[in-house]
Amino acid sequence: MKRLGPALLALGLLAWLALWPLWASGYRVRFMLELFMWVALAQSWNLISGLTGYVSFGHVAFYGTGAYTAGILILRADWPWPLAVLAGGVTAPILALLIGYPCLRLKGPYFAIAMLGLNEVMRVVVSYFDGLTGGGLGLSLPTLHASVPVYYAMGATALGATILAFAIITSRFGLRLMSIREDEVAAEAMGIDTSRYKLYAFLLSAVAPGIAGGLFARDQGYIEPISVFPLLTTITMIVMCLFGGKGTIFGPVLGAVLLSVFQELVWARFLYVHQVLFGAIIVAVVLFMPKGILGVLQERYRLPRTI
Amino acid sequence: MDGPILEVTQVTKRFGGVTAVNHCSLSLTPGRIYGLIGPNGSGKTTLFNCVTGLAAPDAGLIRFKGERIDHLPPYLIARRGIGRTFQVIRVFPELTALENLLVVSRGDGEAARRRAMELLTFVKLDRLHREYAGNLSYGQQKLLEFVRVLVREPELILLDEPAAGVNRTLLNDLLAAIRDLRAQGRTILIVEHDMKVIMELSEQIFVLDYGEKIAEGPPEVIQADARVIEAYFGRG
Amino acid sequence: MTVQITGTMLLQLVVSGLLAGGLYALVALGLSLIFGVMRVINVAHGTLLMLGAYTTYWLFALLGMNPFLSLVVSIPVLFVIGVVLQKLFVHRVVHAPELSSLLLTFGISIFIANAAMLAWSADYRSVEFLTGSFLLGPIALSKPRLVSFVVALAVTGLAFLFLHRTKTGKAIRATSQHRDVAQVCGINVRRIDLITFGLGAGLAGAGGSLVSVMFAVYPEMGQIYVFKSFLVIVLGGAGNYPGALLGGLLLGLVEQLSSLYLTTQVSEAIAYLLLVVVLLIRPTGLLGGRT
Repeated sequence: MKRLGPALLALGLLAWLALWPLWASGYRVRFMLELFMWVALAQSWNLISGLTGYVSFGHVAFYGTGAYTAGILILRADWPWPLAVLAGGVTAPILALLIGYPCLRLKGPYFAIAMLGLNEVMRVVVSYFDGLTGGGLGLSLPTLHASVPVYYAMGATALGATILAFAIITSRFGLRLMSIREDEVAAEAMGIDTSRYKLYAFLLSAVAPGIAGGLFARDQGYIEPISVFPLLTTITMIVMCLFGGKGTIFGPVLGAVLLSVFQELVWARFLYVHQVLFGAIIVAVVLFMPKGILGVLQERYRLPRTI
Repeated sequence: MDGPILEVTQVTKRFGGVTAVNHCSLSLTPGRIYGLIGPNGSGKTTLFNCVTGLAAPDAGLIRFKGERIDHLPPYLIARRGIGRTFQVIRVFPELTALENLLVVSRGDGEAARRRAMELLTFVKLDRLHREYAGNLSYGQQKLLEFVRVLVREPELILLDEPAAGVNRTLLNDLLAAIRDLRAQGRTILIVEHDMKVIMELSEQIFVLDYGEKIAEGPPEVIQADARVIEAYFGRG
Repeated sequence: MTVQITGTMLLQLVVSGLLAGGLYALVALGLSLIFGVMRVINVAHGTLLMLGAYTTYWLFALLGMNPFLSLVVSIPVLFVIGVVLQKLFVHRVVHAPELSSLLLTFGISIFIANAAMLAWSADYRSVEFLTGSFLLGPIALSKPRLVSFVVALAVTGLAFLFLHRTKTGKAIRATSQHRDVAQVCGINVRRIDLITFGLGAGLAGAGGSLVSVMFAVYPEMGQIYVFKSFLVIVLGGAGNYPGALLGGLLLGLVEQLSSLYLTTQVSEAIAYLLLVVVLLIRPTGLLGGRT
């Protein structure tokens, strides 16, 4: 009986979200679509950085890779968009493998710096291969009014990312990832192959951003380097995850929802002050709520680790 | 098993200009308790690090059960059957006591969980299995780390100062546990500063000074050895 | 299309590279000091540079002040800003996990950059004070670059004198080498943190003032310098202050020379690869620093 309550609530929520496009305006559908995207991104960042403690500061690179993969396949190879988008979920982890294999050996601050640079490099790579990617001018996809299907696809991605997080955090695999965060040396000495686990986590964390990027490309119909590789996207997903509670299952969801709503309210009213406020929020979260909402609740009310 | 379980041959480890371990050799016969003593800075922990793969020796060989293990990554060495504790406690603070053990265990499912709970009960931490390891007291964390080593049932156990900061009752429990392990046929090498503990437990003691082995023998012999006394008290 | 590379061309590039490198060294030194002492990766370094640039711009535009002279104002102003930022915010993430300091300084940088945008708009400004070049034989030395280089060298030199000859400077170096030991020796490390962050900000501001003479001034101008400063630190070694100087010059040289064959964009990608490779092979920097 205890399980039934939350389960019904969850089902109700899912049903409400599923029916949303039927009675909400186009604008609101897009808002939820973006919210789903942030949930997927924050959740993915959580998988690598919340669990293993390796701070990926270039995570948006996977998002951009997915966007360009899908864009190129749709535009130049005439792929149907659902397939092209899924392909983004494949190329992003491949990039993660290429980057992660050397870089995950780096210690804390150096891994962060290397990841910061990754973003810049991706932008450069895209500009260089401008025959394929349209370079600085970007790619224009054939127009398609597909907001609603993209909405569902993004929703599925967010749901998938959360389910993945749930599966990992409640498993032995997740425990091993967390032991890396807690004390990597001790973990190694206890027989845990930390290099392999870090890499797995990194690969898994690239899938959802890859897909989300592809969906974004399809939805916007136009992508250019600056729109899909902005550092601000990485920072936003990090702050959302942190605010909700990194290392938890629902923390990223909570953070994404709250900050998306907040951004929406402020952006609508105080357009120019918005960014300034965002900077202040980042500072506030880091200084006053580093454990995030769920983290604080876990401590205060002795909640289980797997929430 | 015949032949030594661990053979350290002429191992040298340098850090910049400091030679922490200097052509050190020792050999452990299976099923005995060994002590490793020496003044501060004599290279005991560095030797441990070399054996467990956390440091790569600059020269020399290390063989475990006849196979070379120097230059292997730490996790492989651990999987081959060597376990260790640390001088400064290194539990996983944000995992629960139970999870600290589960994360190390090989298998999955009920059997692993049962074994972990058994080990916790062994050190009287079973009631705290849901507690975050970081919230446990010093002594409790020490016990947790001790028992975490046992999860993989290692044949060779390296204990780095197990008695440090531990009160007398807890210490007796620990000593009994160590003797128990020996009775199970495991080999134990203990670094300790508490002379009473070392002399009580060890069947054979190695003494290091400035990274070199200066003496080796049963406790009575070591206690009377002039070089050992000089190493501890004689210098400057 | 192959380009004939003459000795003159090469020499020109080397000279240009060194001139640019001096500026990089100045800015990177500030970042290196902050990282060395506090283990803080100051992403806001670029915005501090930007504030220095705007200080010089406004002094020039409103009072007609010689931009090179304006360093006398911009350095202290940025020093004070740095101390304030440290006192209010950064002190809480000193020696904290890198996520905290990265996010915090990033938040600060977004705040300041966008406040600048609100206050001064995103319009490009310029300080047109010095134009043209000296001709030294076949080599053209751009006047603003040359003077900036000399000033940058002078400021860096002063900084080194400070670090090596004054008691506070030595305390800074001691703290960055071994914080605990420094405390035990009676050094007030919190005060050192304040001074270091102020100093780092001052150096960034000086860099900004010099940049304003050569390039456009706008709120986002500092971003590129942050990444380049990281590169310099990695090349020279974290906490290795002379290394920052050499690293800066090296970066300037590499940039100019690679422009022979590669577009600036590709050379940026190469720079990143270089960064990763150096980190993997010699994490303490090419010239040896601290981890």
